[in-house]
Amino acid sequence: MIYAVAVFAPLLGAIVSGLLGRSIGDRAAEAVSILVMVVAAICGVTSFIWIGFLHEPDGTVDIGSWVVSGSFRTSWTLRYDTLSAVMVGMVTFVSTLIHIYSVGYMEHDAFPRYRFFAYLNLFTFAMLMLVTSDNLLQLFFGWEGVGLASYLLIGYWYDRPSANAAAIKAMMVNRVADLPFAVGIALVFLTFGSIEFPIVFAGIQQHMNDMYHVLGSDWRAYEVIGFLLFIGAMGKSAQIFLHTWLPDAMEGPTPVSALIHAATMVTAGVFLMARMSPIMSYAPGALTFVTIIGGTTSLFAATIGCTQFDIKKVIAYSTCSQLGYMFTAAGVAVYQASIFHLFCHAFFKALLFLGAGAVIHAVSGEQDMRKMGGLWKKIPITYTVMWVGSLALAGIFPFAGYYSKDAILEAAYSAGGVGYYGFWCGLIAAGLTAFYSWRVIIMTFHGPSRMDHHVEEHVHESPWVMMGPCIVLAIGALIAGFTLRHEFIGEGWPEFWRDSIVITASNHVLANMEELPGWVGIAPTLVGLLGIATAYTFYMFVPSLPGRMASMFRPIYLLFYNKWYFDEIYDALFVRPGFWIARTFWQVGDVTLINGVPDGMAALTADGARGISKVQTGSLAVYAFVMLIGVVVLVALYLLIR
Amino acid sequence: MNWALAIPEIVLSVCGMGILIVGVLRRQDSTFLCSMLTLGAFLLAAILSVSTVQGIGYHGQFVIDPFSGFVKLLIIAGAALCLILALDYNRKQRISRFEFPVLMLFSVVGMMVMASASNLMTLYLGLELQSLALYVLAAFARDDVRSSEAGLKYFVLSALATGLLLYGISLVYGFAGTMDFAQIARAASDPVHVSPGLVVGIVFVLVGLAFKISAVPFHMWTPDVYEGAPTPVTLFFGTSPKVAAIAVMVRVMVHPFGHLTDQWHTLIVIVSIASMIWGAVAAIGQANIKRMMAFSAIGHMGYALIGLAAGTAVGIRGLLVYMVIYVFMTAGAFACITAMRRNGRSVEMISDLNGLARNDPALAGAMAVAMFSLAGIPILSGFFAKLYIFLAAVQAGMWTLAIIGVLTSVVGAFYYLRVIKVMYFDAPAEQFDARSPSLTFVAAVTTLFTTFFFLFPAPVVGAAQAAAQALFG
Amino acid sequence: MLAVGGLPVGLGHYLTVAAILLVLGVFGIFLNRKNVIIILMSIELILLSVNLNLVAFSAALGDLVGQVFAMFVLTVAAAEAAIGLAVVVVYFRNRGSIQVEDVNLMKG
Repeated sequence: MIYAVAVFAPLLGAIVSGLLGRSIGDRAAEAVSILVMVVAAICGVTSFIWIGFLHEPDGTVDIGSWVVSGSFRTSWTLRYDTLSAVMVGMVTFVSTLIHIYSVGYMEHDAFPRYRFFAYLNLFTFAMLMLVTSDNLLQLFFGWEGVGLASYLLIGYWYDRPSANAAAIKAMMVNRVADLPFAVGIALVFLTFGSIEFPIVFAGIQQHMNDMYHVLGSDWRAYEVIGFLLFIGAMGKSAQIFLHTWLPDAMEGPTPVSALIHAATMVTAGVFLMARMSPIMSYAPGALTFVTIIGGTTSLFAATIGCTQFDIKKVIAYSTCSQLGYMFTAAGVAVYQASIFHLFCHAFFKALLFLGAGAVIHAVSGEQDMRKMGGLWKKIPITYTVMWVGSLALAGIFPFAGYYSKDAILEAAYSAGGVGYYGFWCGLIAAGLTAFYSWRVIIMTFHGPSRMDHHVEEHVHESPWVMMGPCIVLAIGALIAGFTLRHEFIGEGWPEFWRDSIVITASNHVLANMEELPGWVGIAPTLVGLLGIATAYTFYMFVPSLPGRMASMFRPIYLLFYNKWYFDEIYDALFVRPGFWIARTFWQVGDVTLINGVPDGMAALTADGARGISKVQTGSLAVYAFVMLIGVVVLVALYLLIR
Repeated sequence: MNWALAIPEIVLSVCGMGILIVGVLRRQDSTFLCSMLTLGAFLLAAILSVSTVQGIGYHGQFVIDPFSGFVKLLIIAGAALCLILALDYNRKQRISRFEFPVLMLFSVVGMMVMASASNLMTLYLGLELQSLALYVLAAFARDDVRSSEAGLKYFVLSALATGLLLYGISLVYGFAGTMDFAQIARAASDPVHVSPGLVVGIVFVLVGLAFKISAVPFHMWTPDVYEGAPTPVTLFFGTSPKVAAIAVMVRVMVHPFGHLTDQWHTLIVIVSIASMIWGAVAAIGQANIKRMMAFSAIGHMGYALIGLAAGTAVGIRGLLVYMVIYVFMTAGAFACITAMRRNGRSVEMISDLNGLARNDPALAGAMAVAMFSLAGIPILSGFFAKLYIFLAAVQAGMWTLAIIGVLTSVVGAFYYLRVIKVMYFDAPAEQFDARSPSLTFVAAVTTLFTTFFFLFPAPVVGAAQAAAQALFG
Repeated sequence: MLAVGGLPVGLGHYLTVAAILLVLGVFGIFLNRKNVIIILMSIELILLSVNLNLVAFSAALGDLVGQVFAMFVLTVAAAEAAIGLAVVVVYFRNRGSIQVEDVNLMKG
């Protein structure tokens, strides 16, 4: 089945280019990687069209059984339903474009490139395993797989200390979130007796009123599970409190940022919410929490985005913020809208990152926007695609973001209650989003050049192997919204999603969205336009204004600029005490205990080894004698203990 | 009497005699032909073992159940791997004779009989059949003084162990009044009123079997025989006979003496702990890699015995899984050891591996996988073997055993890692001779199994589960 | 039933003799420092004690299995002795000695 081909082709590519890369050379490894990705993309997109538009029935692809231990059974199975197919289609398509782009971007890299492409393939495979899994363990496998691949890719330039630190940070923060996630999986098994999705989802009604008795009070099982799974999702999707790794992850090569930290991996958390929608829908408490976190993140990340000067960091915070939107929608149980935004976002965020990559490529690796400016005449194509990406991100009609972001805000508003919080956060964030997007465009492309001469002489448009994917993505960012709107969130959604997303019968948010007051629909666009206008005022017409504003509201500016001091607070709360404890353990534990006891143990063992060598004299008589002693001891012992 | 139950054994024996006649009658050297025929016979026997019906035959002397089927398959697989390795080794050592595969075949027949024994008499005959063949195999390099010394030592000590086993059998027979497992179980169903004679008998039987799996303190022959015997024979000693002996031990302890579990379990615990510690500590000082593997085998038998000490179906399942993984990782290590030839001579010092990673990365990789797995490093199969065993121990409440097991595997990791350190970080020594394809085949198969076991453990674990369930009824 | 000097000979006597033979055989193996052939003889002694046990139990239990087993043990012992002697011969050819204390090339 072509679906399985789509999933396993990248694995083949990873194996070939990873293991044989050294012998077949970089060019061949690149060719193999891209070839398998093209095959995967054709198969993946075909699967998506078949199930989404030609209404092929759902199904599964069995690969083999994995773990059988008592009542715990897990198998390698690919789940083929709309939700998985949407993700497979999107991941393979975007990933293929980024693979192609990387050929140009990594051209002048000093390291052997086969390693990079093998990692990219591996990452794609892990992501596909995640989205196609039919049970939580396989999902966790993919979850950790993308974590591993992202670690390898962030730290790809392993001779840079900052890249290593960022890779370790990503790994650590994700581990913190994985623990509750793993506990959540265990609780699913405890409650349902299985972690296979078909069995779990079939048992939803039966365990509706299960309770856990913890710490003297009762907790509804679904609330606890939903909460724990969401913590896992928070880590992977970089929501507030666990977001600190995402901006640092920009240390990796730019295609990595595009693929992992924008288009696919970070969306795993959102996907998890949609996949577990049968449970989440019956956990209103957990959903409220999801909305609050999502709304807060969307606003909070947007404020930071407005003050950063590193072009990639701005886009990274915007990713964080957009993920907040998706969770806001998931929190009001409109998973369709969150997946729709995920889908559209993949296009325009990959586009923005690739465009930023092209800019960085053009200015010889500089990432600070204060050292750019006036580029628009020199790299017009990059300029154009950045415009398209920013328009889509800001949600301007008729770009993709307009449809998906509006849908989320409308859903939040019509859900009422905590949804209002999500709505207002999202609305303000929409304005900020537009603001910082144009701040990037103006600082990068307009105004006087702030580059030095050497760099300025070398500014050039990127090769077609890089611009081609950008243009394809730009087209996607333009049309994805209005072509797919009907199926994803319009009247067509019941046939499109079928059983892959479950919402409760009492949830009428999608229907209510049609009957909202008029201003709710227009507000995001207006706020967006306002943001753009402000950006022009600040950075084009009155360039002195940002500095004056910054000094006038200095505390707030510093708060935003220093990313709300999250890194500093975590440093003080966790990292320093951690180091202190580690150092104490090292001084007391290692130097005295660990070095003392094992050194003693080692000496003892070495003595033991010498002693035993003496017993093994090679003499038959001694050997027979030892056996006899054994017999006597065992007989005596048995008679004694009997 | 359902004679058809023993068809695999009968067919294998007939094949063995046929191959013997072929080897004798042909004028030119027929070692290769006989080896291939033996491999064919193994395949046939394996297929028959899987497909024969289950039941008890020969007046209760012979039983076919999932347990015996599992064990037989593993025995045949181990023997087949050894035979493939021996093909090339024996030719290069100039000890290539057609009796070798035939002896191996009859030894396997003996082991299969052991696996199916449900009577002390069958047990003894199977055990002797495999031992008699093993005496000759150990001394097979008959012009090599070390090989003949290995044969002599194994013969004398094994004869002593067999004598003790027989003495135990006679006592059990006398005090239980029968040799049949089921009837012994009935006679020993009351743990409180067991006669001392029966107790002594049980211990002697246990000792006889513990010798075969080289559990401390009945292991003394192991390092010398491992070192002296030709390398493929050493591997054979390490795999199939141990599987057969531990299977018999499990069956005897769980079935006829099952009601006395609380009493003999202390003995198994002591033997197990002693083996783990001895195996881990003694291997450290070794310079000869075959000797090191001998102590490693002793330690691993200690781990496997934890499963028996647990005395539960989960424990036996862990033990069976352990044996499967152990056979494959040992075969991988020995395939690499067999490849250690320089200027047409076999070398077997750990220092001969110096810098192998630069001379022959593939071989070094296979060896590293085998060593990491033997040390129990995740995600290789050796880790899962230990995991299943320790899991059973913890479930049975035997924390001490599990903790000692973990500690000794840490100590044990030292000497496995030393081999890897030597291969990867020391200055390269002279290159080894070119490898033969048969050897590469064995190394590749075992390395793949060891590396990718974690992806598909279910068939092995499921079969082991069924086998363990069969024992507990 | 046999009687010696008025004492009836029972199962216990047979077992005692067998146990003595076993101990003699075992001691023969590890106290002997001279000749490997003596070890072979000691092994025969152990097997003899087992046979005595089996036959005595068989008679006492009125069950023939023990005697059948004794037959098997005799047969197997013959085969074992043959192989044992062959191994000793091979060893002698290589080493030129079958002194027990010379069997120690491999140790440690």
